[in-house]
Amino acid sequence: MTGQTPPVLAVERLGIAFGGLRAVDDVSFEAGRNRITTVIGPNGAGKTTLFNLISGALRPNSGHVRIDGREVTGAAPAALLRLGLARSFQITNLFFGLTVAENLRLAAQVLEPTVRAFLPVRRARVARARVGELLERFGLAAKAAELAGNLSHGEQRRLEIAVAMASRPRILLLDEPTQGMSHGDTEDTAALIRALAADVTILLIEHDIGLVMSLSHHVVVMHQGGKLAEGPPEAVRANPAVQAAYFGHA
Amino acid sequence: MPERPARSFPGRPVADRLSLSMRASHLLVVLLVVAGLALAALGSALGDTFYLRLATEALIYAGLALSVDILLGYTGLLSLGQALYFGIGAYVSALTLMAVPSFWLALLAASGATLVAALIGGVIANRVRGVYFALITFGLAQVVAKVVYNTRELGASDGMIGVPVVEVPLGPFHVSTGSAPGFLLVALALLVLLYAVSAYLLDTPFGRVLIALKANERRVAFLGYSTWRARMAAYVLAALVAGLSGALYPMLRGFVSPELLYFQVSGNAVITVVVGGVGTLVGPIYGAILLTVLKSVIGSWTEHQLIVIGVLFMASVLFLPQGLIGLLRPRLARWLGRAEPPPAKAAEAEARP
Amino acid sequence: MADLVSYLQFVLAPQVVNGLALGMAVVLVALGLTIIFGLLDVINMSHGEFYAVGAFIALALGWLGLSFWLLLFLVPLLMIPFGVLTERLLIRRVYDGPDRHVTTLLLTFGLSLIIEELLSIVFGPNTQRPATPLRGAVELAGVYMPVYRLFLIGIGVVVILAVAWIVYRTRLGAMVRAAAYDRDMAGSLGVPVSLVYSGTFAFGLMLAGLAGVLLAPIYSVFPTMGRDFILIAFTVVIVGGMGSIWGAVVAGLALTQVQALAALVISPVWTDPIVFGVMVLCLMFRPQGLFGRLGHA
Repeated sequence: MTGQTPPVLAVERLGIAFGGLRAVDDVSFEAGRNRITTVIGPNGAGKTTLFNLISGALRPNSGHVRIDGREVTGAAPAALLRLGLARSFQITNLFFGLTVAENLRLAAQVLEPTVRAFLPVRRARVARARVGELLERFGLAAKAAELAGNLSHGEQRRLEIAVAMASRPRILLLDEPTQGMSHGDTEDTAALIRALAADVTILLIEHDIGLVMSLSHHVVVMHQGGKLAEGPPEAVRANPAVQAAYFGHA
Repeated sequence: MPERPARSFPGRPVADRLSLSMRASHLLVVLLVVAGLALAALGSALGDTFYLRLATEALIYAGLALSVDILLGYTGLLSLGQALYFGIGAYVSALTLMAVPSFWLALLAASGATLVAALIGGVIANRVRGVYFALITFGLAQVVAKVVYNTRELGASDGMIGVPVVEVPLGPFHVSTGSAPGFLLVALALLVLLYAVSAYLLDTPFGRVLIALKANERRVAFLGYSTWRARMAAYVLAALVAGLSGALYPMLRGFVSPELLYFQVSGNAVITVVVGGVGTLVGPIYGAILLTVLKSVIGSWTEHQLIVIGVLFMASVLFLPQGLIGLLRPRLARWLGRAEPPPAKAAEAEARP
Repeated sequence: MADLVSYLQFVLAPQVVNGLALGMAVVLVALGLTIIFGLLDVINMSHGEFYAVGAFIALALGWLGLSFWLLLFLVPLLMIPFGVLTERLLIRRVYDGPDRHVTTLLLTFGLSLIIEELLSIVFGPNTQRPATPLRGAVELAGVYMPVYRLFLIGIGVVVILAVAWIVYRTRLGAMVRAAAYDRDMAGSLGVPVSLVYSGTFAFGLMLAGLAGVLLAPIYSVFPTMGRDFILIAFTVVIVGGMGSIWGAVVAGLALTQVQALAALVISPVWTDPIVFGVMVLCLMFRPQGLFGRLGHA
């Protein structure tokens, strides 16, 4: 921390309670520019709820979320996306009745200047070009005209990330991107995420510990809604409290 | 299309499926225009007014059905009270014509009033989704219908009669609303215009956001769009289509009555859309024509036409998820775009019992 | 003071009793509606028409000489096949399809048109009025009240308690609530879900049919009689909370009292907009209604 430039994404004492249950309790961490920060923790630790708070799906009861030092706590998802924060979902959340290309075009059309919102879609050049890039980058070109609902699970997960990337976000929240994937697909996805980190700050939820260790620059461990530990992967793994609470159970 | 950036899927058509199916709809609308012109010519040659006026009424109700389809077929919102805006359009148009006999002023006043009403109604109705949206639109229309029914200034239960016949100035031409073939063409022109504007808007990025709401509202917010604003936009657009269609009603019939706001009118529009084809824009237009024909044909044998229409409607719900147009349009779209058959339709058809 | 007493005696009290009788009627129709929604998630747009079917069956069997007291039991039983057939042949076909809320709403809407027309074909479009089985009025604290309306209030209370007992206190009710809460889980626990669904739909229609028998002597019988009634029944179900039995009871009695009492102060023609206004406001600010949903605590 030089104190000069604020962190790309900063979470400060964030909390939310459902009824009496503190689903996320006083969690703080920062995500460094173009680095992969991974949130781990046992099921029910509050990881997805944390993502929901950061991405605007839920409004926190307490604490702050800042993007480049700018207060964005409680902003709507749409506003956050326009500030450069996009997310993917743990349960594949696509437009299953649209083709792969249409899914991507829909997601990429925010790049289009506002006036073009009222011109026919075939005139949306910026979005179309972006769709082409994404199809290449995510290896979906052959499936461009396929309905999203007809893709394999692995392809859907990849499209899920591609849709999140369509708006050229600066910050990308990936909620278990490899969930349910075969070993080969997992490896491919890991390589993809690593490559994405060249120009995007990534916040990741991941269960595969091998993957967490190899991908992450920074790991945040959650347990029962709170932050148990954070640090470089090896340091976190060596932390006795983490081992007791998390690795012990896993 | 001169420039095609990122042609990354060689051999595939660049136009997407929705644009393609829209092109098929356009073709069917062109067909309608030709038929309308032929009917007007034939009717005026034979000196008929009855059938021309019946056709005009069908076109007016087609506009209402179009409005229901924008909500149900594209945005996924079932309105059971679209007659509210149809009725407001009709009443304001009648009031305007009785004060100042100007066609354009009547349309302008009707759209202005509908816009204001739709903004208010939209804020109320868009607080809820799904069946609750259906019921709240139903309730809103009922409240207004009852108020109109009880307001003496608006003619209460009798409505208002004596809406004058006016001239419709169309550049160098003049058409009288009293002329059966002339007014048929006016109604046809307005309907085609409403169709064209709706189809155009739905084919823009703005429209695609409205459509995305139906498919997956939750994700739309994470694509950078306010879902509330999108729903409002769809609601207001649909209301304007209904209001403008309603504005023609008193010009055709010379009166307005509270029945225009009743559930029967809203319900009829929903039937029209389902029978014609939900989410096709052109389906509701043909549906309105079909139902009008059916009603008058069956009506000549029995007063119980609703039984036939009810059966047709239920059969459409059960067996024809895209209505009658759904049978026809994919073939047209394939022929137009030489695209592959949309796998969704095939899968959907197979999944249905 | 004497004015006040006579106002209470001759104006307010009869109005309250009339409102209560109407309220019971509305509650009976709304109960069926809310139970069907609570379990099946189906907005039964044809519920009002089934109420009319009950009334017409009662009328026809009355012509054949069957006594009103027998019909009170017979008509609800005769509604069972209608309920089972509607659920099996229509609702079930689209139940697992996309957008089932909208589809089932549209289907039952179509059904309502067909039933209405069939009634009008079979019985003619005119209004018929069966004889009131209980004539006369009784005097209670100086207030004259028609016996039949008092009977209606009494039987309403009995039916409401019986329904609540069945739903909340019996094994049958427990199965229904389990199926409403989680269909798959209930199925895996041995609840005959398919039967429960048909049974519940039929039960809802039995209540509509019973309401038809009971109300025919007061409100007359005509093919579109369901239309007028369904509006207020929907309002009651929404205000009470869709799927809530006690909600339907409380909202039904309260709203009809509001209507009855408002009619004393303002022109009766304005009471309908007021009731719908309540429905719209409720949908805006508390769409889940005043009470929770069946099976969802």
